Amino acid sequence: MSFVELRNVYKSYGDGAAKVDALRGIELSVEPGGFVAVMGPSGSGKSTLLMIAGSLEEPTEGDVRIDGLRLSGLSRNQKARLRRRTIGYVFQDFNLLAGLTAVENVCLPLELDGIAARKARAIGMAALEELGLADRSNRYPDQLSGGERQRVAIARAVVGERRLLLADEPSGALDSVNGEAVMRMILSACKTGVAAVVVTHDAHLASWADRVVFLRDGRVVDQTNPPPSPESILQPSTGPNEPSL
Amino acid sequence: MNTVNQPSLANDGGIPARRAMIRWAWRLFKREWHQQLLILGLITVAVTATIIGAAVARNAPPPANSGFGSARYSATIEGSDPRFQSEVASFSKQFKPVEVIENQILRIPGSTMTFELRSQSPHGIFSKPMLTLVSGRYPLTGGEVALTPDLARNLDLKVGDAFRVGGASRKVVGIVENPQSLLDQFALVTPGQVEAATTATILFDIPKGMSLAAGNIGKPAVSASRTFLIPRSLTFDGVAIQSASKGSAGAFANPETISVAGLALGMLLIALVAVGGFTVVAQRRMRAFGVLESLGASDKNVKLVVKADGVIVGVVGSLVGVVIALAGWLAYRPVLESSSHHLISVLAVPWTVVVASMLLATVAAYLAASQPARSLTRASVAASLSARPAPPRQLHRSAIPAIALLASAFVIVWYSGKQDSPGLLIIGLIFLVAAVVLLSPLFLAALGRSGRRAPLALRLAFRDLARYRARSGSVLAAVSLGILISVIISGVAAVRYSNPLDYVGPNLAPDQLVLHVSGPPASAVKLGEGAGVPTGSGRAKSLGASANSIAKALGINSAVELDSVDANLRHAAQGRNWMGTIYVATPQLLGEFGINSSEVSPNADIVTMRPGLSGESKMQLIYGSNLYGVVAPPGSSQAYSCPTSDCLSNPVIQQIKGLPSGTSAPNTAITETAVKKLGLTTFVSGWFMQASKPFSNAQMTAAQQAAAAVGMVVETQNTLPTSSTIISWATAFGIALAIAILVMSVGLLRSETAADLRTLAATGATSFTRRNITAATAGALGFLGAILGTAAGYVGVMGWFMSGVQGGGLSAVTNVPIENLAIVIVGMPLLAALLGWLLAGRTQPSMARQAIE
Repeated sequence: MSFVELRNVYKSYGDGAAKVDALRGIELSVEPGGFVAVMGPSGSGKSTLLMIAGSLEEPTEGDVRIDGLRLSGLSRNQKARLRRRTIGYVFQDFNLLAGLTAVENVCLPLELDGIAARKARAIGMAALEELGLADRSNRYPDQLSGGERQRVAIARAVVGERRLLLADEPSGALDSVNGEAVMRMILSACKTGVAAVVVTHDAHLASWADRVVFLRDGRVVDQTNPPPSPESILQPSTGPNEPSL
Repeated sequence: MNTVNQPSLANDGGIPARRAMIRWAWRLFKREWHQQLLILGLITVAVTATIIGAAVARNAPPPANSGFGSARYSATIEGSDPRFQSEVASFSKQFKPVEVIENQILRIPGSTMTFELRSQSPHGIFSKPMLTLVSGRYPLTGGEVALTPDLARNLDLKVGDAFRVGGASRKVVGIVENPQSLLDQFALVTPGQVEAATTATILFDIPKGMSLAAGNIGKPAVSASRTFLIPRSLTFDGVAIQSASKGSAGAFANPETISVAGLALGMLLIALVAVGGFTVVAQRRMRAFGVLESLGASDKNVKLVVKADGVIVGVVGSLVGVVIALAGWLAYRPVLESSSHHLISVLAVPWTVVVASMLLATVAAYLAASQPARSLTRASVAASLSARPAPPRQLHRSAIPAIALLASAFVIVWYSGKQDSPGLLIIGLIFLVAAVVLLSPLFLAALGRSGRRAPLALRLAFRDLARYRARSGSVLAAVSLGILISVIISGVAAVRYSNPLDYVGPNLAPDQLVLHVSGPPASAVKLGEGAGVPTGSGRAKSLGASANSIAKALGINSAVELDSVDANLRHAAQGRNWMGTIYVATPQLLGEFGINSSEVSPNADIVTMRPGLSGESKMQLIYGSNLYGVVAPPGSSQAYSCPTSDCLSNPVIQQIKGLPSGTSAPNTAITETAVKKLGLTTFVSGWFMQASKPFSNAQMTAAQQAAAAVGMVVETQNTLPTSSTIISWATAFGIALAIAILVMSVGLLRSETAADLRTLAATGATSFTRRNITAATAGALGFLGAILGTAAGYVGVMGWFMSGVQGGGLSAVTNVPIENLAIVIVGMPLLAALLGWLLAGRTQPSMARQAIE
């Protein structure tokens, strides 16, 4: 059974002459543990697709299901609850909250879900330890490097047994070494059963995915399964020694 | 597994989520507090001013029990009274326990200054609060004395020296003072050591079960039927008894409640300004809120961050305000002690005001932050993540609720006057404020429509104000309320001062002086009770000579005799009644003010300068037995009975503008014709002097001493302001408040359209255009605020005065000078526009220093 399903999804902005169709009849499904990369030129609707899949945006038409739940039937609060328990986001520019330390950023979704601060912190620390960031746990975002920030963002996205990881250009602001490290982490998460949808411009990084979906003008124009396994191509020693999730 | 329907956790994450949100809000405040300096500053200043103002207002007057210690009553017996000892014994017998303090007035050797030799126990049952030890110890034996600091300094004595007076020598053993009156200079000796007491003060309480009602302890000094005109006083065995003032603490309108009420109004204005401030801060943090929502924060959580920010700003601002106020109090207290002549405790801060001001500040900031909190959650998460503010909320409010509120405010204020109900008046004013708040967006919408054909800068400014009227409406409301306050003060002053019956204002001009034969009459009823001497008597001639002598010393040719009669005016209706003295319009008096006797109508009974008095109906000139015959409560028909034997109904009153306007000056006089017609008795009550320039302090002191030497009293100008002074200050206050609000808010409003300005700059607009837009924004808000505030103010004032509560007519509202209104409606907006133009020189700060990394 698919964990994420988009059926005949349309999304339009504006009215009349100013109307823009961002998505036109998208069909997409991702199995648990599946890793889908979404590629396409600017304005093709990649980010909109991610937003709709993550309940951050309402489709104009069509049906979106996460873990069998129809999003259109959920209230704003129910969607919020779904996001903090099931969906994790990774943004291109990290989007860590200033004023909160690395570990506080990571455990924030847990606290939002009602888990006591001490317990949430312990879970957050464990997540950071797995990513080799335990010694950075009490640093503020502006005291971390770009790669460290994105690792914290990934830790925040997967903490608490979330099962859907949505990443919008997660390596866009990183150098190639850190970018590949990030992809490796996402792949590791998928191996634990997390479904991942990653938007990227980089074909090389997209080749890490099980499947690549190509968008143009809001339509899926192609879907491929990349033949070579990225892990078999990449030299593990080329990136930082990142622990797997 | 369907995780969404897990019932174990609350939807919004419960306490852990709330704690996390509050923690983040606090961290953001610590990082970015400087972005909220404006609101912090406003709250700090308001709280500081309120606390210090309330502390000074509370502590500046003498203590309520000054001169009484812990007793509720006191009586003073002259030492020269042959019944001195028996009176003391009589009081002791009747009011056990009593405490007797004996004073002997002595002269400081080689000086005209006097002091008191005082026998008082430091441990007296009532007088203990009237004595503190500064150094040394209290006297224990007849050979010891303690001096007040000033007396010790004047006598050049210190502890251990010998104090010689009246042939006796005592050792100075301590320095003492009366904390309730630092002006009190005395030498303290043990009880019984004053041999020739000048006075004895008896402090006592009324025993339980006994009241001070007439008949219980003696005969009231005045009949109960007239106590509505003369303050009640009591006697015991012919000795006057004074009761301690209860002070203002128990009164509703005490300094604390007035301060808190003022602060509440101030906080309302601050809250209206702060809405814009919190909105801008919230917009700067918009992406961070988007991230928060993407992590699963509920709307409630996001709102909590913004509201918590409001609470934090309120608490921090008020805490800083309290700290500054307390520091200011510590610094100012010694100065206040010196000027108010009594000791003030370090802890005599109105703590209820401290707590109330902190609460008010916090609540105001919370409410101000609530509005942007609500609007934040209206934007989609995707819009927040891309820092796209939600399009301005289009307010399509109907004018009907606003107009209904305005009409209700008018009716309630009018009814409150009818019912004499302060509670209803407050409700009416709340309705008035609510109407202004609701009308503000409507005014802005109209402004937006009016600017369609205006030049670019005006058009843009007006449209932005209309588009963002959810925000600019609160600023307009704040400006309007500032003007509303000013207009209400001006209107009330104009009407109150124009009441021809109960005339108020300065008593005299600075170059005028009145010599009273035995003090200024407190009320008309006291006339004939020793307030004058018979006309033509030897005493009158003797005093007249003294008056002329004083006049000459002041450089005035001669003093004008003020003759009074045993008659008075009365308004036979409820409400404010006649207040003032009626002098006789002698040719000499009229001539002093350049009025020829021929100008007085032969039919006139009364001449007056009070505008409107001649048009008053139901006036009566009462005299003879009727003058003292008011036995029925005021308002009943019996109270205004006008038998022809001693009452003249509707006397002919002629207005003569040449008479002086001071309340103690002869502004109203009875004609000599009327005096003869009614057979009234005249007596000399004083002399009036008009100099060519204001009197100096030295002249006034010399006149007072010369007058005192012949048993007369000098009255010079008091500190009461004129109506034009009050209206001018109110106008200045309203304009200053409105300008301050505009200066603080227009920048915030314009920052909402910073992106538009950048686009304008990119298309080639110069800073001149930017300046014009800001100037137009400030000017338009100022103009609309002036119109709305003035209109609402007049609605309130007219409602109040239509009830007839002041006894004046509604037409008196027009007494607010037109130039003051013109300054508010035209001058203030122009000033705002000018300031906006000047202050818009700096480029707008960029929209986003995002609170995310």
